[in-house]
Amino acid sequence: MSALARLHRPATVEEAVRLLAGGDGERTRLLAGGATLVAMLNAGLVDPAELVSLAAVDELRGIGTLPDGGLRIGAMTRHRETAADVRLAGTLAVLREAAARIANPVVRNMGTIGGSISFADPAADYPPALVAADAAVEIAGPQGRRRVPAREFFVDWYATALGPNEMVTAILLAPRAPGLGSYDKLYRVAGDYAIVSVALSVAWRDGACARAGLAVGGCGPRPLHLDEADELLRAGRLGAQAARRAGELLAAAADPLDDVRASAAYRRRVIPRMVERALAAARDELSRTA
Amino acid sequence: MRMEGRFEVGAPRERVWRCITDATLMVACIPGCEEIEPVDARSYRARVLVEVGPIKARFNLVVEVTEELPFDRVASVTRGEEGTRASMLSADNLVTLTELGPELTEVRYSSEVSVTGRLAKYGLGMMRKRVDRLGVQFAERFRERIGSGALSA
Amino acid sequence: MSTPYPLALQVNGAEHRLEAALGDTLLTVLRDALALTGAKRGCNQGVCGACTVLADGEPVRACLTLAHECAGREIVTIEGAAGRAQALQEAFVETGAVQCGFCSPGMILTAAAMLERTPRPSADEVRAGLSGNLCRCSGYRKIVDAVLRAAETGAP
Repeated sequence: MSALARLHRPATVEEAVRLLAGGDGERTRLLAGGATLVAMLNAGLVDPAELVSLAAVDELRGIGTLPDGGLRIGAMTRHRETAADVRLAGTLAVLREAAARIANPVVRNMGTIGGSISFADPAADYPPALVAADAAVEIAGPQGRRRVPAREFFVDWYATALGPNEMVTAILLAPRAPGLGSYDKLYRVAGDYAIVSVALSVAWRDGACARAGLAVGGCGPRPLHLDEADELLRAGRLGAQAARRAGELLAAAADPLDDVRASAAYRRRVIPRMVERALAAARDELSRTA
Repeated sequence: MRMEGRFEVGAPRERVWRCITDATLMVACIPGCEEIEPVDARSYRARVLVEVGPIKARFNLVVEVTEELPFDRVASVTRGEEGTRASMLSADNLVTLTELGPELTEVRYSSEVSVTGRLAKYGLGMMRKRVDRLGVQFAERFRERIGSGALSA
Repeated sequence: MSTPYPLALQVNGAEHRLEAALGDTLLTVLRDALALTGAKRGCNQGVCGACTVLADGEPVRACLTLAHECAGREIVTIEGAAGRAQALQEAFVETGAVQCGFCSPGMILTAAAMLERTPRPSADEVRAGLSGNLCRCSGYRKIVDAVLRAAETGAP
């Protein structure tokens, strides 16, 4: 039996933060799409006394274009909307592809990007995609707003850079550059969390690689990312040798689990293959479009 | 699920022994431990908070010492539950001390833990990673305390 | 603890005034308070799809939706099937896509929302569209056939 005694429905971010701060810390939680929180409520894993529903906060909804040409994805944007937004092209396509691979159509119609990344399951689809795209997370709290790079937002298993009474308000993306983004995952059944996933974002100009971002999901407490691997890929123009070396580096740095989906050893073996496959597909696409 | 680990402490074995059998010092060293209270000569009551992401579980545990061989080993069993019996925990624990030098002691710990109920639904693989990390935290705090001479006895 | 609060819900075109605890899901309210048992409680975790209903025309998991979050939304369950959903029901019967029937309401409502967006899907699109609905009899083949058949007959 749930002990839920209050269900707030603020209209603004500031009000939501106030309610969060006014509640009894560990017993007050934000409710976004419900896809994870209500499932945990049903399973008796969480037992909040108060919920702050974000459903009526207009500011958090939808994807907008920023003055500099970048994009702002509101925290309450559903996976379905992100998966369908054609502005997420070029280097930003990685996000769109990741959104399209979350769970199934009905859950994508409920789950939100803010809810998903706040829960921070390292086997989820958004975290590596945001790290590969070098996105920033906008956070609101009692002290106002701040921005944290996605590469610093995910800090541990189910733990983020969010402080007490803080909430995610948006994902911020730099203007898209020509190039490509891709997201692939190895899974047991369609819609499951990843055994291993690979997110790639590549800026490509005049036959040269201007920037590469590569992140691996499902293989440690947070998305696996190495500046050194990105630099190898960039300098090696995404070549097969650079891809092999980057895959090896990431596999060596991985800290995967033994769980129902796969053994840690299997995951370590698969990382280089997945990385090489993603880079081969990228080379293929660039040779066709360039 | 079996948990084990080892760490070294720069102190004589006898001193390490007095520390690991000192309940007050243990409260400060065990991550999430909020309270330890002796029940009798061989058992303690403890309250431990386990946090995994959004899940917070507070266990009321009873630790009973089943074997105590001074300066060498302590075996104990832990039994307990969350407030509303939502999860049950039991564990068989063994701590052994080995003298590596006059001022250096090795602490080995192992525990066969079983958790049932709501927390068991959570991935076991992740729990193991958590516990490994708790082991490291424990060792750090223990070394700190023993170094600062914070022995209550 | 679980004090009931008044709630007005629009379900299948009718307004229902009832009371529900804040932690009650839409599924609980539909089944226990309104006796609309078409939405099934399968996993209660959002995985199986048996509880799928439409909220403002979009499919949602009733088990993952708090009832009090549904005030002001138009809920449609299989009991209120009309138009596309009704055509799908007929196609399910004609094709023999109903075995034990546990998954059928969720399958039909999910498919109805899919056909709204993609009126002439390929078999693969149907499979992808229904990938979040599990059939415990494993009768997927005829379910896909039934959706394709309903798509062919077109919207009523």
